[in-house]
Amino acid sequence: MSLFSLTTVGETLRIAAPYACAAVAGVWAERAGVVQIGLEAILLSSAFASVVGTLASGSAVVGVCAGIIMGVCLSAAHATLVHRTRIDAVVCGIAWNLLAYSGTRLGLRALYDSASNSPSIAAFRIGPTGNEGWQVLARVLCDPLSWLAFTAVVASPYVLNRTRLGLRIRAVGENPTAARAAGIDVGRTRLLALCISGAIGSLGGIHLAFDQHRFEAGMSAGRGFIALAAVVLSGWLPGRAALACVAFAFLEALQFVLQDIGQASKAITLAQMLPYAAVLVALGLGVGRRSAPGGLGRHAEN
Amino acid sequence: MRGLSSSQQRVVFALAGALLVLNLASFAFGEAPPQTLARVWAGTWGTPYGVGQVLFKATPLLFTGMAFSVALRAGLFNIGTEGQLAIASLAGAWVATKLGANVPWFLAVPVVLAVSAAVGAAYASIAGAMRAKAGVHEIITTIMLNRCADVVLPWILTVALSVDGVRTAAIAPGARTAGLDTWLPSFHGSAASLAFPFVVVLAFAVEAWLRRSRIGREFEWIAQSPSVCEAQGIDVAKRRMQAMLLSGALAGLTVMGTVLGYKGYFELGLGAGAGFSGIAVAMLGRGGAVQLVAASLLFGTLAQAGLAINARVPRDAMGVLEAVVILLMGATAFASARVEPAPSEPARDKGGAA
Amino acid sequence: MVVASAPRIELHGVSHRFGEFTAVRALDLVLEPGRIHAVIGENGAGKSTVLKLIAGLLRPSAGAVSIDGDVLAAGSPRAAMERGIGLVHQHFMLLEPFTALENVMLGAEPIRRNILGGMRFLDWIGALDFDAARAKAQALAADSGLDLDLDARVANLSVGEKQRLEILRILYRGARAILLDEPTAVLSPLEAAELYRTLRRLALRGHTIAVVTHRLDEVSRFADEVTAMRRGECVLREQLPPRHGRLDASAEASSQPEPEPSALILRLTRAVMGGDVPASAPKPPVAPGAAAVLELRDVSVRGVGTRRLDNVSLRVHTGEIVGIAGIEGNGQRELATALAGLLDIERGTILLDATSPFAGHNDAAARVRAARARGLITVLDDRHHDELLLDATVGDNLVVGDLGLADEALIQKRRFAIFAIEPRSPSRLASELSGGNQQKVVMARAFDRTRHSLDPSTNAAHQPRALVLDQPTRGVDVGTARILHDAIIGIAAAGAGVLVISADLNELRTLCHRIVVLREGGLVAELPPTASDEDIGRAMLGVADRSGREEAVA
Repeated sequence: MSLFSLTTVGETLRIAAPYACAAVAGVWAERAGVVQIGLEAILLSSAFASVVGTLASGSAVVGVCAGIIMGVCLSAAHATLVHRTRIDAVVCGIAWNLLAYSGTRLGLRALYDSASNSPSIAAFRIGPTGNEGWQVLARVLCDPLSWLAFTAVVASPYVLNRTRLGLRIRAVGENPTAARAAGIDVGRTRLLALCISGAIGSLGGIHLAFDQHRFEAGMSAGRGFIALAAVVLSGWLPGRAALACVAFAFLEALQFVLQDIGQASKAITLAQMLPYAAVLVALGLGVGRRSAPGGLGRHAEN
Repeated sequence: MRGLSSSQQRVVFALAGALLVLNLASFAFGEAPPQTLARVWAGTWGTPYGVGQVLFKATPLLFTGMAFSVALRAGLFNIGTEGQLAIASLAGAWVATKLGANVPWFLAVPVVLAVSAAVGAAYASIAGAMRAKAGVHEIITTIMLNRCADVVLPWILTVALSVDGVRTAAIAPGARTAGLDTWLPSFHGSAASLAFPFVVVLAFAVEAWLRRSRIGREFEWIAQSPSVCEAQGIDVAKRRMQAMLLSGALAGLTVMGTVLGYKGYFELGLGAGAGFSGIAVAMLGRGGAVQLVAASLLFGTLAQAGLAINARVPRDAMGVLEAVVILLMGATAFASARVEPAPSEPARDKGGAA
Repeated sequence: MVVASAPRIELHGVSHRFGEFTAVRALDLVLEPGRIHAVIGENGAGKSTVLKLIAGLLRPSAGAVSIDGDVLAAGSPRAAMERGIGLVHQHFMLLEPFTALENVMLGAEPIRRNILGGMRFLDWIGALDFDAARAKAQALAADSGLDLDLDARVANLSVGEKQRLEILRILYRGARAILLDEPTAVLSPLEAAELYRTLRRLALRGHTIAVVTHRLDEVSRFADEVTAMRRGECVLREQLPPRHGRLDASAEASSQPEPEPSALILRLTRAVMGGDVPASAPKPPVAPGAAAVLELRDVSVRGVGTRRLDNVSLRVHTGEIVGIAGIEGNGQRELATALAGLLDIERGTILLDATSPFAGHNDAAARVRAARARGLITVLDDRHHDELLLDATVGDNLVVGDLGLADEALIQKRRFAIFAIEPRSPSRLASELSGGNQQKVVMARAFDRTRHSLDPSTNAAHQPRALVLDQPTRGVDVGTARILHDAIIGIAAAGAGVLVISADLNELRTLCHRIVVLREGGLVAELPPTASDEDIGRAMLGVADRSGREEAVA
């Protein structure tokens, strides 16, 4: 397996999808001025909900809907709590992560009496089987979830920049006090933005679960945090955030390649650190110094 | 509710929510709620062993809670206590294994603590430096540093230390912190050690020092308004760095409760989760050392209660419970303090986050 | 294009309380279409609160606001907006990174309806119709004489342009009653006259105009009717004769002679102050041949964005008070922050008593402390951003930045006593103080901040060598302003050199021995304190002086 093969491309895209969804979800939330470090929770809970939905109904479509509803509810709850009660959004996000992590494990025990994973699901089995490079790539390209994710990534810049909703979301994110003075309901606009954010983020979680054909405890494995880093590095731009995620995914796909080349050294395990270290170096070098939305973490004032 | 102060109201709300979740969870797993509560009581405050276990569970939480609240005092979110305590615990444990078998405790314990504190501070300083020099928000850097620690630790254990991959060798006997059952035999069997009284004293000492000292007061002023402090000649970057160092050092001291007072060696996952729970402890324990200690005991109780009911109701229920407590406490904090703003106050800088 | 139905706004017995504090008490007020109504009063008299009540941003504790006879749904900015009421806030409510056009359309965005046609429920996701918005905005701008580049980013607009944008924005929203809160506080005299010309044009079209201001001369020149408020109550209401300021759109405001402080202004002053105001202490003349205390030689500094200070040379002598006039954003803040030691100096030197006050430090915090120890004391303009910790106690605010230098209790007590700070308790939070008392805290700290005064072995107050004051009385009531002015004159008389930066030309005239004008980062003129508003204003704008006098500054 070489560094740049169809397999690598396919793997990169497959790995990138959940990252990109979470990152674009983060952009939507933070452009509306709501700090969202609970992306991890959205991935995890929607992955779980989609599997439960699929298993309960026997239909993958129902599973997808269940996952989206879960993501939207969680995200909407975040928006409502932060806006109504002025709870610190960072602390709130940490609580969501904890809740999703423990809650899904609890759910696994309650529903499937397992500490680690759910029964397997069929998900969408479209495209060729096999491990040839073109087959891997074709499978990715045939996956409806990939297309949903792609649509979300491509539509986001348009909606944010060119529509009424987008303008209002950016306004409440930039300066909630001024937006309110222009007659915009800051709470409602943020709630709407967070619902969209939750829906997009949930696609990532569903993709994770359907990709593995089951739910595994803690399967988001820090992707939400990497996505958060992508948001900062991109300068809060959805397209660039998704691109950053593709770069992360490439680094991750590279690990498989490296491991494939051989266990030359145990230092290879350190390669897992690549994405995180890359983020730190990039931030240290001033990538993404483009300023955050001015109203991030602020409330409207009289 | 009328007669209670706002902070008392918050605690009542949070406890009521916690109780509700616990009952729901036990109901879901076919366990009668009163029986679950009885188990919880027996496993925690109902027996001397349980009390000892609660103190044991509370010890790392109080260290990390202090660590987070010290940084928060200066307006910084040190989400990285998790990684700092892991790296520092490994370093402290490694040094402790290298000490001779007859090094007395009054030398061994301070040496190990000093090393752990230094390593924790050093790891936190990366985030501190990036905030001070490059203006990168510490939330994002500390999260990344946590992930780095997750990868680096197993690598160090397997490759650099060439041990079996999950744990270090046993530490020198002189570095072990004595169990509380040495003095209070009824705690026998519990893992509570001298680390608990130590961290409680430390919490009060740090609180008193920060309240009175110049550095502590300037921390608070910086948290209120960095721009005012800068204009008034306070070295904001230096103070932020100091806050991160102090926070990392306190997180590093967690080694006392886990390695020195309990296991006697470091293994992967030892103390894991204490960093994030410490944030909850710090948020709940805002206002002073008494509140902080009480919050650590509450979360220690939840953690121990999780173990006590694990046979019937999975202890993950306690994680859910912890999250609910954080959300309820946080959500009621502002609602009770909400007042109309004073007239003709221009918009105030509330300070953004990542 | 006379607007037929501009609303008539009535307040009946309206009160508003913030906690214990009553901001507005049983106020009756009628705003008629076609007229400019001025509301005057000291800080905290409740003027801004009145506007916010009308605009629905605040809810009256008692009484009602009615528009054309209908009672306004309380506390609903949207409802007020729909009834044609638009408020221009004192602090601009603009989105800085957005374009002017985006700001104009925000909240009332036109949507393209090509594909989705009549599906109104999808409007929220509809594509913005920038062309329609631009056409409408341009028509309105042309009609009301608001000159503006709609595609410019707000962050790059001047203060005057931002003001015009705010007005255009509320007109775009269909406002026929326009409320303005201290619109001229940051404008030069010429820009202020221009603003009133626009307002007059709108009034002649039938709009209802209400202006809150503390500049009494504006009232006498431009308003049709005035309400004076004191402690939340109306204390005086007068219809002004039409000859006062009834400029039609073609009249040249600046060509009118400067009105003398008329009987009207005296009456208004007494009303808002609740009695006669003691005259300021006269400033003693500067001794001939006085030594230079503070000197800038060809100083260049880079500020935020494109703002900068270029080759500024200036000398302040012992006993002298030098005023800096200029339109906001022309280098004032850069000058003050550079003198405070907060900015790196690109070129040139700053000298205090012929040596650098910064002792060669590269680090801003160290420079600030070094300058202070030498007796070069700076007070910056943005009190809440730079000077005061609102959530800390008054006592802490009196010593912030000076910890570890001296006996804290001693200097705290001494500073508290310099001005009569109300309430008389150092343990109150700074946010609980009025603007005037907040500024007293800031000034007391500044006046008592030299090395000698921080020496624990002495309890005597020591004077600063040089004092740099940026907007020393902004947002401060007239009574406190007088007290602070007297203190500044006193400190100069005792031998300090003082540099005062102010947007208030009357303040500069009262305090200063000479006034220099800052424009686009450079000093462009020096004028005597007797210069007229018009002369200073021309220098501020860079309009050629009729007498051709535009001196270099020594």
